[in-house]
Amino acid sequence: MNETLAIQLDGVEQSRSNFKLGPLHMSIPKGYITAIVGPNGCGKSSTFRLMLDLDKADKGTIELLGCNVNQGMDTELKKRIGYLHDQSSSHENNMIGAAKAEFHRFWYDDWDINRYRELLHILEVEDHLMLGKMSKGMRRKFEFALALAHGPELLLLDEPSSGLDPLAWKTMIEVLHRYMDRGDRTILMTSHIIEEVKRLADYIVFMAQGRVLGMYEKDELFSSWFTLFVSGAELTAKKAAELPGQCGVEHAGATTFRITTNKAAEAEEWCAAEGYQIVSRQALELDEIMSALLQQDRLHSRRN
Amino acid sequence: MRLPIQINEQSAEPLYHQIEVQLRALIVSGQLAEGMLLPSIRELAQTVKCSVITVKRVYNDLEAEGLLRTRQGTGTYVAQVGDQERDRHRLAAVVEALEQAVVAAKRVQCTEEELKAIFQEALSKHYD
Repeated sequence: MNETLAIQLDGVEQSRSNFKLGPLHMSIPKGYITAIVGPNGCGKSSTFRLMLDLDKADKGTIELLGCNVNQGMDTELKKRIGYLHDQSSSHENNMIGAAKAEFHRFWYDDWDINRYRELLHILEVEDHLMLGKMSKGMRRKFEFALALAHGPELLLLDEPSSGLDPLAWKTMIEVLHRYMDRGDRTILMTSHIIEEVKRLADYIVFMAQGRVLGMYEKDELFSSWFTLFVSGAELTAKKAAELPGQCGVEHAGATTFRITTNKAAEAEEWCAAEGYQIVSRQALELDEIMSALLQQDRLHSRRN
Repeated sequence: MRLPIQINEQSAEPLYHQIEVQLRALIVSGQLAEGMLLPSIRELAQTVKCSVITVKRVYNDLEAEGLLRTRQGTGTYVAQVGDQERDRHRLAAVVEALEQAVVAAKRVQCTEEELKAIFQEALSKHYD
Protein backbone atom coordinates (compact mmCIF):
# COMPACT_ATOMS: atom_id res chain seq x y z
CA MET A 1 0.00 0.00 0.00
CA ASN A 2 1.07 3.50 -0.78
CA GLU A 3 2.74 5.23 2.19
CA THR A 4 0.99 8.50 1.46
CA LEU A 5 -2.52 7.07 1.68
CA ALA A 6 -4.54 6.81 4.88
CA ILE A 7 -7.47 4.91 3.38
CA GLN A 8 -7.84 2.92 0.22
CA LEU A 9 -11.04 1.32 -1.03
CA ASP A 10 -10.81 -0.90 -4.05
CA GLY A 11 -13.91 -2.26 -5.76
CA VAL A 12 -15.91 -2.28 -2.54
CA GLU A 13 -19.52 -3.40 -2.92
CA GLN A 14 -22.35 -4.01 -0.52
CA SER A 15 -25.77 -5.14 -1.67
CA ARG A 16 -28.81 -4.79 0.50
CA SER A 17 -32.46 -5.36 -0.35
CA ASN A 18 -33.12 -1.65 -0.79
CA PHE A 19 -29.71 -0.17 -1.62
CA LYS A 20 -26.58 -1.07 -3.52
CA LEU A 21 -23.34 0.55 -2.47
CA GLY A 22 -20.42 0.59 -4.86
CA PRO A 23 -18.34 -0.47 -6.57
CA LEU A 24 -16.36 2.12 -4.62
CA HIS A 25 -12.83 3.19 -5.39
CA MET A 26 -11.41 5.80 -3.06
CA SER A 27 -7.89 6.88 -2.10
CA ILE A 28 -7.74 9.21 0.85
CA PRO A 29 -4.34 10.94 1.23
CA LYS A 30 -2.52 11.07 4.54
CA GLY A 31 -2.00 14.48 6.17
CA TYR A 32 -5.05 16.13 4.62
CA ILE A 33 -8.70 16.78 5.34
CA THR A 34 -11.02 15.11 2.87
CA ALA A 35 -14.75 15.81 2.90
CA ILE A 36 -17.36 13.54 1.35
CA VAL A 37 -20.40 15.44 0.14
CA GLY A 38 -23.55 14.15 -1.48
CA PRO A 39 -27.33 14.07 -1.18
CA ASN A 40 -29.08 12.20 1.62
CA GLY A 41 -28.89 8.44 1.23
CA CYS A 42 -25.92 8.51 -1.15
CA GLY A 43 -24.04 5.98 0.97
CA LYS A 44 -21.71 8.19 3.02
CA SER A 45 -22.48 6.71 6.42
CA SER A 46 -22.61 3.17 5.02
CA THR A 47 -19.11 3.69 3.64
CA PHE A 48 -17.91 4.75 7.10
CA ARG A 49 -19.45 1.63 8.64
CA LEU A 50 -17.62 -0.56 6.13
CA MET A 51 -14.32 1.18 6.79
CA LEU A 52 -14.69 0.58 10.51
CA ASP A 53 -15.69 -3.06 10.02
CA LEU A 54 -19.09 -2.41 11.60
CA ASP A 55 -20.60 -3.89 8.44
CA LYS A 56 -19.05 -6.34 6.01
CA ALA A 57 -18.52 -5.61 2.35
CA ASP A 58 -19.59 -8.29 -0.15
CA LYS A 59 -16.70 -7.53 -2.46
CA GLY A 60 -13.49 -5.52 -2.67
CA THR A 61 -10.69 -4.59 -0.32
CA ILE A 62 -10.46 -1.90 2.33
CA GLU A 63 -7.18 -0.71 3.80
CA LEU A 64 -6.85 1.70 6.70
CA LEU A 65 -3.44 3.08 7.71
CA GLY A 66 -1.81 0.30 5.75
CA CYS A 67 -3.81 -2.54 7.38
CA ASN A 68 -6.36 -4.64 5.55
CA VAL A 69 -9.67 -4.67 7.44
CA ASN A 70 -11.45 -7.35 5.40
CA GLN A 71 -10.57 -10.02 7.95
CA GLY A 72 -11.72 -7.89 10.84
CA MET A 73 -10.07 -5.03 12.61
CA ASP A 74 -7.60 -5.65 15.42
CA THR A 75 -7.54 -3.62 18.61
CA GLU A 76 -4.17 -2.08 17.80
CA LEU A 77 -5.55 -0.55 14.60
CA LYS A 78 -8.68 0.71 16.38
CA LYS A 79 -6.49 2.59 18.84
CA ARG A 80 -5.09 4.67 16.00
CA ILE A 81 -8.53 5.78 14.83
CA GLY A 82 -11.12 8.20 16.22
CA TYR A 83 -14.73 7.97 15.08
CA LEU A 84 -17.67 10.27 15.57
CA HIS A 85 -20.99 8.59 14.73
CA ASP A 86 -23.70 10.44 12.89
CA GLN A 87 -26.16 9.53 15.64
CA SER A 88 -25.70 8.92 19.33
CA SER A 89 -26.74 5.49 20.56
CA SER A 90 -29.91 5.46 22.66
CA HIS A 91 -28.69 2.50 24.74
CA GLU A 92 -26.14 4.85 26.29
CA ASN A 93 -28.81 7.30 27.46
CA ASN A 94 -28.52 6.24 31.09
CA MET A 95 -24.75 6.38 31.14
CA ILE A 96 -22.97 9.28 32.78
CA GLY A 97 -20.53 11.09 30.48
CA ALA A 98 -17.55 10.56 32.77
CA ALA A 99 -18.29 6.80 32.85
CA LYS A 100 -18.12 6.59 29.08
CA ALA A 101 -14.85 8.53 29.19
CA GLU A 102 -13.48 5.97 31.69
CA PHE A 103 -14.38 3.23 29.26
CA HIS A 104 -12.44 4.99 26.50
CA ARG A 105 -9.52 5.51 28.85
CA PHE A 106 -9.42 1.76 29.48
CA TRP A 107 -9.23 0.87 25.79
CA TYR A 108 -7.08 3.64 24.34
CA ASP A 109 -3.45 3.55 25.56
CA ASP A 110 -2.83 7.05 24.32
CA TRP A 111 -5.85 8.47 26.13
CA ASP A 112 -4.78 11.87 27.36
CA ILE A 113 -6.78 12.95 30.40
CA ASN A 114 -5.48 16.52 30.21
CA ARG A 115 -6.36 16.78 26.56
CA TYR A 116 -9.83 15.42 27.34
CA ARG A 117 -10.33 17.96 30.17
CA GLU A 118 -9.10 20.77 27.96
CA LEU A 119 -11.49 19.81 25.18
CA LEU A 120 -14.43 19.68 27.60
CA HIS A 121 -13.40 23.09 28.88
CA ILE A 122 -13.13 24.82 25.51
CA LEU A 123 -16.30 23.17 24.23
CA GLU A 124 -18.10 23.99 27.51
CA VAL A 125 -19.27 20.45 28.24
CA GLU A 126 -20.17 18.99 31.66
CA ASP A 127 -19.41 15.27 31.77
CA HIS A 128 -21.17 14.53 35.07
CA LEU A 129 -24.55 14.48 33.30
CA MET A 130 -26.25 11.40 31.93
CA LEU A 131 -25.84 11.26 28.16
CA GLY A 132 -29.64 11.12 27.70
CA LYS A 133 -30.00 14.27 29.79
CA MET A 134 -27.56 16.30 27.72
CA SER A 135 -28.93 18.62 25.04
CA LYS A 136 -28.35 17.42 21.50
CA GLY A 137 -25.54 19.91 20.96
CA MET A 138 -23.82 19.15 24.26
CA ARG A 139 -23.92 15.42 23.62
CA ARG A 140 -22.44 16.01 20.19
CA LYS A 141 -19.62 18.09 21.66
CA PHE A 142 -19.00 15.44 24.31
CA GLU A 143 -18.74 12.67 21.70
CA PHE A 144 -16.47 14.92 19.65
CA ALA A 145 -14.11 15.41 22.61
CA LEU A 146 -14.07 11.63 23.19
CA ALA A 147 -13.15 10.92 19.55
CA LEU A 148 -10.19 13.31 19.80
CA ALA A 149 -8.86 12.69 23.29
CA HIS A 150 -6.53 9.83 22.34
CA GLY A 151 -4.91 11.88 19.55
CA PRO A 152 -5.79 9.43 16.74
CA GLU A 153 -3.82 9.36 13.50
CA LEU A 154 -7.03 9.05 11.55
CA LEU A 155 -10.24 10.81 12.44
CA LEU A 156 -13.55 9.81 10.86
CA LEU A 157 -16.25 12.40 11.43
CA ASP A 158 -19.79 11.74 10.29
CA GLU A 159 -21.52 15.10 10.09
CA PRO A 160 -19.62 16.50 13.05
CA SER A 161 -21.49 19.77 13.32
CA SER A 162 -25.07 18.55 13.35
CA GLY A 163 -26.88 20.15 16.28
CA LEU A 164 -24.12 22.63 17.14
CA ASP A 165 -24.80 26.33 17.60
CA PRO A 166 -22.69 28.75 15.50
CA LEU A 167 -20.25 29.49 18.33
CA ALA A 168 -19.69 25.82 19.16
CA TRP A 169 -19.31 25.18 15.43
CA LYS A 170 -16.56 27.77 15.18
CA THR A 171 -14.78 26.29 18.18
CA MET A 172 -14.97 22.84 16.61
CA ILE A 173 -13.41 24.12 13.37
CA GLU A 174 -10.56 25.69 15.35
CA VAL A 175 -9.99 22.51 17.35
CA LEU A 176 -9.77 20.50 14.12
CA HIS A 177 -7.32 22.94 12.54
CA ARG A 178 -5.08 22.73 15.58
CA TYR A 179 -5.36 18.96 15.59
CA MET A 180 -4.15 18.88 11.96
CA ASP A 181 -1.30 21.34 12.45
CA ARG A 182 1.28 18.59 13.02
CA GLY A 183 0.84 17.62 9.39
CA ASP A 184 0.83 13.82 9.76
CA ARG A 185 -2.80 13.34 10.76
CA THR A 186 -5.76 12.66 8.51
CA ILE A 187 -9.43 13.56 8.66
CA LEU A 188 -12.17 12.02 6.58
CA MET A 189 -15.49 13.69 7.18
CA THR A 190 -18.97 14.01 5.74
CA SER A 191 -20.87 17.24 5.74
CA HIS A 192 -23.93 18.98 4.36
CA ILE A 193 -22.69 22.38 5.37
CA ILE A 194 -21.03 24.27 2.54
CA GLU A 195 -19.17 26.70 4.77
CA GLU A 196 -17.75 23.82 6.79
CA VAL A 197 -16.39 22.09 3.70
CA LYS A 198 -14.94 25.38 2.46
CA ARG A 199 -13.18 26.08 5.72
CA LEU A 200 -11.89 22.61 6.45
CA ALA A 201 -11.45 20.47 3.39
CA ASP A 202 -8.36 20.09 1.22
CA TYR A 203 -10.00 17.46 -0.97
CA ILE A 204 -13.66 16.95 -1.80
CA VAL A 205 -15.25 13.63 -2.77
CA PHE A 206 -18.68 13.74 -4.42
CA MET A 207 -20.95 10.73 -3.86
CA ALA A 208 -24.40 9.94 -5.26
CA GLN A 209 -26.49 6.80 -5.29
CA GLY A 210 -23.83 4.65 -3.73
CA ARG A 211 -21.12 5.71 -6.14
CA VAL A 212 -18.17 8.12 -6.16
CA LEU A 213 -18.68 10.78 -8.82
CA GLY A 214 -15.23 12.24 -8.44
CA MET A 215 -12.54 13.53 -6.11
CA TYR A 216 -11.09 17.01 -6.47
CA GLU A 217 -8.59 19.30 -4.81
CA LYS A 218 -10.76 22.01 -3.31
CA ASP A 219 -9.16 25.16 -4.74
CA GLU A 220 -8.79 23.59 -8.15
CA LEU A 221 -12.46 22.62 -8.09
CA PHE A 222 -13.65 26.10 -7.16
CA SER A 223 -11.36 27.78 -9.68
CA SER A 224 -12.55 25.63 -12.58
CA TRP A 225 -16.32 26.06 -12.15
CA PHE A 226 -17.53 29.45 -13.28
CA THR A 227 -20.62 30.96 -14.83
CA LEU A 228 -19.61 33.34 -17.60
CA PHE A 229 -21.73 35.94 -19.32
CA VAL A 230 -20.31 35.91 -22.83
CA SER A 231 -21.21 38.41 -25.49
CA GLY A 232 -20.30 38.71 -29.16
CA ALA A 233 -21.88 40.03 -32.35
CA GLU A 234 -22.24 36.65 -34.04
CA LEU A 235 -22.62 34.53 -30.94
CA THR A 236 -25.41 31.94 -31.19
CA ALA A 237 -26.61 29.30 -28.75
CA LYS A 238 -25.02 26.64 -30.91
CA LYS A 239 -21.67 28.40 -30.91
CA ALA A 240 -21.94 29.09 -27.17
CA ALA A 241 -22.33 25.36 -26.58
CA GLU A 242 -18.81 24.88 -27.97
CA LEU A 243 -17.25 26.70 -25.04
CA PRO A 244 -14.72 24.37 -23.35
CA GLY A 245 -16.19 22.57 -20.35
CA GLN A 246 -19.68 23.80 -21.16
CA CYS A 247 -22.33 22.51 -18.72
CA GLY A 248 -25.33 24.60 -19.62
CA VAL A 249 -26.17 27.56 -21.84
CA GLU A 250 -28.90 30.11 -21.25
CA HIS A 251 -29.83 33.03 -23.41
CA ALA A 252 -29.32 36.27 -21.48
CA GLY A 253 -30.70 38.84 -23.89
CA ALA A 254 -29.46 40.05 -27.32
CA THR A 255 -26.18 38.32 -28.17
CA THR A 256 -25.25 37.55 -24.57
CA PHE A 257 -25.28 34.02 -23.19
CA ARG A 258 -24.93 32.76 -19.65
CA ILE A 259 -22.66 29.73 -19.87
CA THR A 260 -21.57 27.46 -17.04
CA THR A 261 -18.19 25.80 -17.46
CA ASN A 262 -16.01 23.40 -15.51
CA LYS A 263 -12.88 24.49 -17.38
CA ALA A 264 -12.82 28.21 -16.61
CA ALA A 265 -9.24 28.90 -17.75
CA GLU A 266 -9.70 27.15 -21.10
CA ALA A 267 -13.07 28.82 -21.57
CA GLU A 268 -11.55 32.27 -21.10
CA GLU A 269 -8.84 31.51 -23.63
CA TRP A 270 -11.45 30.25 -26.07
CA CYS A 271 -13.45 33.50 -25.72
CA ALA A 272 -10.32 35.57 -26.32
CA ALA A 273 -9.37 33.50 -29.39
CA GLU A 274 -12.90 33.67 -30.84
CA GLY A 275 -13.13 37.39 -30.14
CA TYR A 276 -16.01 37.15 -27.65
CA GLN A 277 -16.27 39.36 -24.61
CA ILE A 278 -16.71 38.10 -21.08
CA VAL A 279 -19.11 40.61 -19.59
CA SER A 280 -19.06 39.13 -16.12
CA ARG A 281 -18.02 36.01 -14.27
CA GLN A 282 -19.25 34.32 -11.16
CA ALA A 283 -17.73 31.44 -9.21
CA LEU A 284 -20.08 28.53 -8.47
CA GLU A 285 -20.94 27.51 -4.93
CA LEU A 286 -20.43 23.94 -3.75
CA ASP A 287 -24.14 23.08 -3.98
CA GLU A 288 -24.31 24.40 -7.54
CA ILE A 289 -21.28 22.34 -8.52
CA MET A 290 -22.87 19.31 -6.89
CA SER A 291 -26.14 19.65 -8.78
CA ALA A 292 -24.27 20.18 -12.06
CA LEU A 293 -22.25 17.01 -11.43
CA LEU A 294 -25.41 15.09 -10.54
CA GLN A 295 -27.07 16.24 -13.72
CA GLN A 296 -24.07 15.22 -15.82
CA ASP A 297 -24.09 11.84 -14.12
CA ARG A 298 -27.80 11.35 -14.88
CA LEU A 299 -27.29 12.25 -18.55
CA HIS A 300 -24.33 9.93 -18.72
CA SER A 301 -26.15 6.94 -17.19
CA ARG A 302 -29.16 7.52 -19.45
CA ARG A 303 -26.92 7.35 -22.49
CA ASN A 304 -25.41 4.03 -21.42
CA MET B 1 -0.19 35.79 13.59
CA ARG B 2 -2.49 36.86 10.80
CA LEU B 3 -1.08 38.04 7.51
CA PRO B 4 -2.96 40.83 5.72
CA ILE B 5 -3.76 38.69 2.70
CA GLN B 6 -7.11 39.04 0.99
CA ILE B 7 -8.38 36.83 -1.75
CA ASN B 8 -11.05 37.39 -4.35
CA GLU B 9 -13.02 34.23 -5.06
CA GLN B 10 -14.69 35.77 -8.08
CA SER B 11 -11.42 36.55 -9.82
CA ALA B 12 -10.21 34.49 -12.75
CA GLU B 13 -6.72 34.68 -11.31
CA PRO B 14 -5.76 31.38 -9.64
CA LEU B 15 -5.88 31.39 -5.86
CA TYR B 16 -2.24 30.39 -5.36
CA HIS B 17 -1.21 33.28 -7.57
CA GLN B 18 -3.28 35.80 -5.63
CA ILE B 19 -1.71 34.67 -2.36
CA GLU B 20 1.79 34.48 -3.83
CA VAL B 21 1.71 38.02 -5.22
CA GLN B 22 0.54 39.47 -1.91
CA LEU B 23 2.94 37.50 0.25
CA ARG B 24 5.85 38.40 -2.03
CA ALA B 25 4.89 42.05 -1.77
CA LEU B 26 4.80 41.84 2.04
CA ILE B 27 8.30 40.38 2.05
CA VAL B 28 10.04 42.61 -0.49
CA SER B 29 8.46 45.75 0.94
CA GLY B 30 10.04 44.82 4.26
CA GLN B 31 6.67 44.61 6.05
CA LEU B 32 7.65 41.11 7.05
CA ALA B 33 11.12 41.37 8.52
CA GLU B 34 13.95 38.96 7.88
CA GLY B 35 13.90 35.94 10.17
CA MET B 36 10.22 36.27 10.97
CA LEU B 37 8.32 33.02 11.46
CA LEU B 38 5.38 32.70 9.09
CA PRO B 39 2.11 30.99 10.07
CA SER B 40 2.07 27.23 9.58
CA ILE B 41 0.66 25.95 6.31
CA ARG B 42 -2.57 24.83 7.96
CA GLU B 43 -2.94 28.12 9.79
CA LEU B 44 -2.58 30.27 6.67
CA ALA B 45 -4.90 27.96 4.74
CA GLN B 46 -7.49 28.47 7.46
CA THR B 47 -7.27 32.26 7.45
CA VAL B 48 -7.57 32.64 3.70
CA LYS B 49 -9.99 29.67 3.42
CA CYS B 50 -8.01 27.72 0.88
CA SER B 51 -6.57 24.22 0.94
CA VAL B 52 -3.16 23.40 2.38
CA ILE B 53 -2.16 22.24 -1.09
CA THR B 54 -2.39 25.82 -2.33
CA VAL B 55 -0.41 27.25 0.58
CA LYS B 56 2.27 24.57 0.17
CA ARG B 57 2.62 25.59 -3.44
CA VAL B 58 3.00 29.27 -2.50
CA TYR B 59 5.61 28.53 0.19
CA ASN B 60 7.52 26.26 -2.20
CA ASP B 61 7.52 28.85 -4.99
CA LEU B 62 8.71 31.64 -2.70
CA GLU B 63 11.34 29.38 -1.20
CA ALA B 64 12.63 28.63 -4.70
CA GLU B 65 12.81 32.39 -5.31
CA GLY B 66 14.91 32.71 -2.16
CA LEU B 67 12.37 34.79 -0.25
CA LEU B 68 11.50 32.11 2.29
CA ARG B 69 13.41 29.38 3.99
CA THR B 70 12.07 26.31 5.71
CA ARG B 71 13.72 24.74 8.70
CA GLN B 72 12.69 21.13 9.18
CA GLY B 73 10.36 20.78 12.09
CA THR B 74 10.33 24.43 13.12
CA GLY B 75 8.57 26.19 10.29
CA THR B 76 8.94 28.68 7.48
CA TYR B 77 10.87 31.93 7.90
CA VAL B 78 11.39 35.08 5.88
CA ALA B 79 14.83 34.81 4.29
CA GLN B 80 17.44 37.50 3.95
CA VAL B 81 16.57 39.55 0.90
CA GLY B 82 19.45 41.51 -0.66
CA ASP B 83 18.89 45.11 -1.75
CA GLN B 84 19.37 44.31 -5.42
CA GLU B 85 16.99 41.41 -5.25
CA ARG B 86 14.52 43.48 -3.30
CA ASP B 87 14.52 46.09 -6.06
CA ARG B 88 13.97 43.46 -8.72
CA HIS B 89 11.05 41.93 -6.86
CA ARG B 90 9.70 45.30 -5.87
CA LEU B 91 9.38 46.39 -9.48
CA ALA B 92 8.22 42.98 -10.71
CA ALA B 93 5.05 43.35 -8.66
CA VAL B 94 4.42 46.81 -10.14
CA VAL B 95 5.04 45.63 -13.70
CA GLU B 96 2.59 42.81 -13.22
CA ALA B 97 -0.09 45.08 -11.74
CA LEU B 98 0.27 47.50 -14.64
CA GLU B 99 -0.01 44.72 -17.17
CA GLN B 100 -3.21 43.58 -15.54
CA ALA B 101 -4.55 47.11 -15.72
CA VAL B 102 -3.80 47.18 -19.45
CA VAL B 103 -5.60 43.85 -19.94
CA ALA B 104 -8.59 45.23 -18.04
CA ALA B 105 -8.57 48.32 -20.26
CA LYS B 106 -8.46 46.25 -23.44
CA ARG B 107 -11.38 44.19 -22.17
CA VAL B 108 -13.58 47.31 -22.27
CA GLN B 109 -12.04 48.43 -25.58
CA CYS B 110 -10.25 51.40 -24.11
CA THR B 111 -7.97 53.19 -26.62
CA GLU B 112 -4.29 53.85 -26.01
CA GLU B 113 -4.94 57.56 -25.58
CA GLU B 114 -7.70 56.97 -23.07
CA LEU B 115 -5.45 54.63 -21.10
CA LYS B 116 -2.59 57.13 -21.08
CA ALA B 117 -4.94 59.82 -19.81
CA ILE B 118 -6.15 57.53 -17.03
CA PHE B 119 -2.56 56.72 -16.11
CA GLN B 120 -1.62 60.41 -15.97
CA GLU B 121 -4.64 61.11 -13.82
CA ALA B 122 -3.72 58.30 -11.41
CA LEU B 123 -0.13 59.61 -11.27
CA SER B 124 -1.13 63.15 -10.39
CA LYS B 125 -3.65 61.89 -7.85
CA HIS B 126 -1.08 59.84 -5.93
CA TYR B 127 2.21 61.67 -6.55
CA ASP B 128 1.43 65.39 -6.47
